[in-house]
Amino acid sequence: MSTLALLLTQTVNALSQSALLFFLGVGLTLIFGLMRIVNFAHGALYMLGAFVGYSLTHWTGNYWLALAGAPLAVGLFGTAFELTILRRLYRRDAHAFLMVTFGLALVVGEAVRLTWGPDALQVPAPAALAGVVFMLDEPFPVYRLFLVATGIVVAIAIWQFLERARLGLLIRATSQNADMANALGVDVRLIRSCVFGIGCGLAALGGVLAAPLVTASNGMAGTVIIDAFVIVIIGGMGSFLGSLIGALLIGFVQVFGNYYAPDFALAFMYLVMLAVLVMRPGGLLGKEA
Amino acid sequence: MALLELDGVTRRYGALVALDQVAMRVEDGEVRAVIGPNGAGKTTLFNVITGTVRPSAGAIRFADQAIAGLASHQICRLGISRTFQITALFPEMSARENARLAAQARHPRRWQLFGGSRIFKEAEALADAALEQLGLSAIADRPAGLLSHGDQRLLEVAMAMAQQPRVLLLDEPTQGLSVEETAQAVETLARFLQASRMTVLLVEHDMEVVFRLAHRITVLHRGAVIADGAPDQVKADARVQEAYLGGLD
Amino acid sequence: MSRIIALILGLILLLAPLGLPPFAMTLLTEAVILGLFAMSLDLMFGYTRLVSFGHAAAYGLGAYSCGWMLLNTDIPLLFAVFAAALLTGMIGLAVGWMCTLATGVSFSMLTLAFAQLLYAISFKWTSVTGGSDGLAGIPRTAGPFGFAALSSKAGFYYLALACLVGGFLVCRGLVRSPFGAVLRGIRENEAKTTALGYNTRLYKIAVVAIAYGLGGLAGALYAPFAGFANTELLFWLLSGQVLIMVIVGGAGTLVGPVLGAAFFMFMEHQLSAWTEAWALYFGLIFIAFVLFAPHGIWGLATGRFRRASERH
Repeated sequence: MSTLALLLTQTVNALSQSALLFFLGVGLTLIFGLMRIVNFAHGALYMLGAFVGYSLTHWTGNYWLALAGAPLAVGLFGTAFELTILRRLYRRDAHAFLMVTFGLALVVGEAVRLTWGPDALQVPAPAALAGVVFMLDEPFPVYRLFLVATGIVVAIAIWQFLERARLGLLIRATSQNADMANALGVDVRLIRSCVFGIGCGLAALGGVLAAPLVTASNGMAGTVIIDAFVIVIIGGMGSFLGSLIGALLIGFVQVFGNYYAPDFALAFMYLVMLAVLVMRPGGLLGKEA
Repeated sequence: MALLELDGVTRRYGALVALDQVAMRVEDGEVRAVIGPNGAGKTTLFNVITGTVRPSAGAIRFADQAIAGLASHQICRLGISRTFQITALFPEMSARENARLAAQARHPRRWQLFGGSRIFKEAEALADAALEQLGLSAIADRPAGLLSHGDQRLLEVAMAMAQQPRVLLLDEPTQGLSVEETAQAVETLARFLQASRMTVLLVEHDMEVVFRLAHRITVLHRGAVIADGAPDQVKADARVQEAYLGGLD
Repeated sequence: MSRIIALILGLILLLAPLGLPPFAMTLLTEAVILGLFAMSLDLMFGYTRLVSFGHAAAYGLGAYSCGWMLLNTDIPLLFAVFAAALLTGMIGLAVGWMCTLATGVSFSMLTLAFAQLLYAISFKWTSVTGGSDGLAGIPRTAGPFGFAALSSKAGFYYLALACLVGGFLVCRGLVRSPFGAVLRGIRENEAKTTALGYNTRLYKIAVVAIAYGLGGLAGALYAPFAGFANTELLFWLLSGQVLIMVIVGGAGTLVGPVLGAAFFMFMEHQLSAWTEAWALYFGLIFIAFVLFAPHGIWGLATGRFRRASERH
C-alpha cells in the first residue's frame, strides 16, 4: 500500500474513531457544564444504546429504526433517572452525584448482562452501508465513512442548536449562571432534566453507531468510560468545542498509536492527558481548574 | 520606615489596568481604610499584597523586606493575614477548632503525623485568646456553620488574629450583614482594634464603618490612588466626592 | 455504647479460628484484608475528600510485588508482605505527586488513568506479571525465622488481623494529630486551608502515599492468601467496589469502611447464592445508601452520628 493510501486509511479510521468518541464526550461535557455532574454511567449508557440497538434491529429488521429508537429510549431512561433520583441530590455536595451515577453504571451494566447474556452480539449494518468504496485504489469501508459523516453532521447540529435554538441558548445561560437564569423565569429543573436526557441519548447514539463495527459486548462500558473522561478532561469539562478537539486528538492518538507502537498506544493516551493537565489544569478550553 | 510600603504597584490584565502606580505607606498601629467604587481595584490590591496575584510592576515592602512575587503561604507566614469578602470557614468544626487550625498554621511542627497534644494546646491557647478579643468566647464550641452571620464574620477576623499577624487585611468585614449585625460587629471591631493596636488595612463600602474605625483613608478609582489622608480631609476632597461619595448613601 | 460493640467484635474476631469451619475462616480472612483495603481509602476519601477511582492500583501493586517476591526469591512471607507495602507506598508518593497536579474531578480522573495504565501494563509485561494469566501458585513461604505458624490458616488470619488492627491504630493516630487536623481542613474548605498558609498539596501527597502503603499492605496480604495475583486486582471495577465499601460502611470513621467491606463480602457471597443478579441489587442498595443513609452503616449504628474518631 502506498504511503499516501496508508495515511488516508489511517486518517479515515482515526476520524471515525473520533466521531464515536465525540458522541460519548459531548454528552458527558454537556451534562457536566450544566449540572456539574460527572456522569459515571455514561459508558454503561453507551453500551445500553448498543444492545438496545441490537434488539431493535432484530425486531424490526431495520437498522435505521434502531438508530433513531435506541438514543430515544435511553434518553428517556436518563431523564427518568434524573427526575427520580438525581433531583434529590442537588442540595448535597458534588460527590453524591459521582457515587450515584457510579451506582447507576453498575446497575445498568448488570442489567445488560442479565438481559442480553454475557456474549458479544453482532449488529448487522444496513445493506446500504455494508460495502467498500475505492479511493486511491484502496478499499474503504463505507460504514466508517458514514460514521465520519454522521459525526460531522451531529457536531454541526449541536453547535447550531447551542448557538441558535431557544433551548440551546437557555442551556448555555443556565450553565453559566443557574441562579440568574432562574431569576429570569427559566425553569432550571426542566432544563436539567432535558440536558441529562440529551446527554444520555447522545451516549446511546454513539453505542448504536459503534455496534456494527465493534459488536455489542459487556466490556464496552469499562473501556469506553475512560476514553470519554480522557477526552473531556483534555478538552475541558463543560466545553463543547473542547470535547470535539479532545475526541479528534484521542482518536488520532489511538489509531496511529495502535498502528505504529501498539504496546505503548494506551500509555500515549494517558501521557497526553497528563501533559495537558500539567500545562492547563482546566483542560484545553475548560472553565474549571 | 512604615510597616507596609507600596511603590508604583501596577497590575494589568491584558489591556485592563486593575492597579495603576499605587503608592501607600501604612504605619505600625494604623487602621487604614481603602475605599472606592466597584471595580476600583480594592480586592486586587489585597491580592497583590498577600501574594495571591503578582504585580505587573512596582515594589511592596513589609517590615523592610521585599515581598512582591513571594508565594502566598510564604507571605502569610511573614505576618500578613487576611479575611475574605465571602465568608470562608470550616463549617463542621467548632469556632475554637477553626481558630486553632489557623493558629496551628504558624507552628513549626504543624504537619506532625502523630501525637501533637502539646501543639494543640499551644494553638488552642492562641485560638482562645483571639476568640476572646473578638467577643466570641461564648460560642467557642458551636459549629461554625451554625453561627450567626455577624459572628461568622468576626470568627474570620479571630482566625486571622490567631495567626498573630503584624498586619491584618480585612476585606469587607461587614459584607452581608444586616443593619443591627453591622452595628454590633463594628462596635466589637472598634474595641478590638483599640485594645490590640493592630495594623489594619480595611476595605469597606459602608462609609459609617469607615469613619468609625479608620485613622486614614486611601481612595482608589480605576486602579489609581486619587486621595489619601485623614477622614475629614478625604470627605472634603472634591475629586473623591466626584468619583465616589456622590453616588454613596 | 460503641465501646461495648467494639469489645464484643474484637473478642469474636480473636476467637474466631477456634469455632469457625475452614471455609468461613477463609471468608473472614478475606473480609479482614478487604477491610484494611477499604480503611486505607477512607483516609483519602473520608478524611480528605480526595475521590480516588483508582485505588485498586495500590491493591494490585501490593499483590503483584509480594507475589513476585514470594515466587522468585527466598524472602520469607512476613518480609515480603511489608516490603511490598513499603514499595507501594513509595509509588504512592509518585502517584500522589502526579495526581495532585490537578484538583477536583481532574484529580479523580488522573487516579483512574493511573490505575488503568497499571492494568494495561500488567497485561503486557508478561515476564514479570504473567500477563492475562497473572501470577499463580504463590506460596506462603514462612522462611527460616520460624514463622511457620503464619502459613497455617489460623496463623495467616492472625497476621491479617494484626495488620488490620495495626493499620487502624496508625490511621487513628494520624487522624488525631496536627496532620489530621489539616486533612480535615482540606476536606471542609481547601481554599481556606491554603489561605491560612498550609501547603495543602504536600499534605495531599502524603495522604495518598500513606493510603497507598496501607492499601498495598492489604494487597500484599491477599497474594499469599489467595495464592494468586491477577489483572482483576487492578481493574477499575475493584476501585469502584472499594469506594462503595467506604461509603456504605460510613466514610470518615475508619471503622465504617471495615464494616462496609464485610457487608460487601456478605452480599457477594450470600446474594450470589440466591440470585444471579446480585451485583444489580448491590448497585441499587448502594444508590439507596447514598440517597438515604449518607453516613453509612456505622452512621446508622451509632444513631446520632458523630465523627467520634476525630473530635479531640
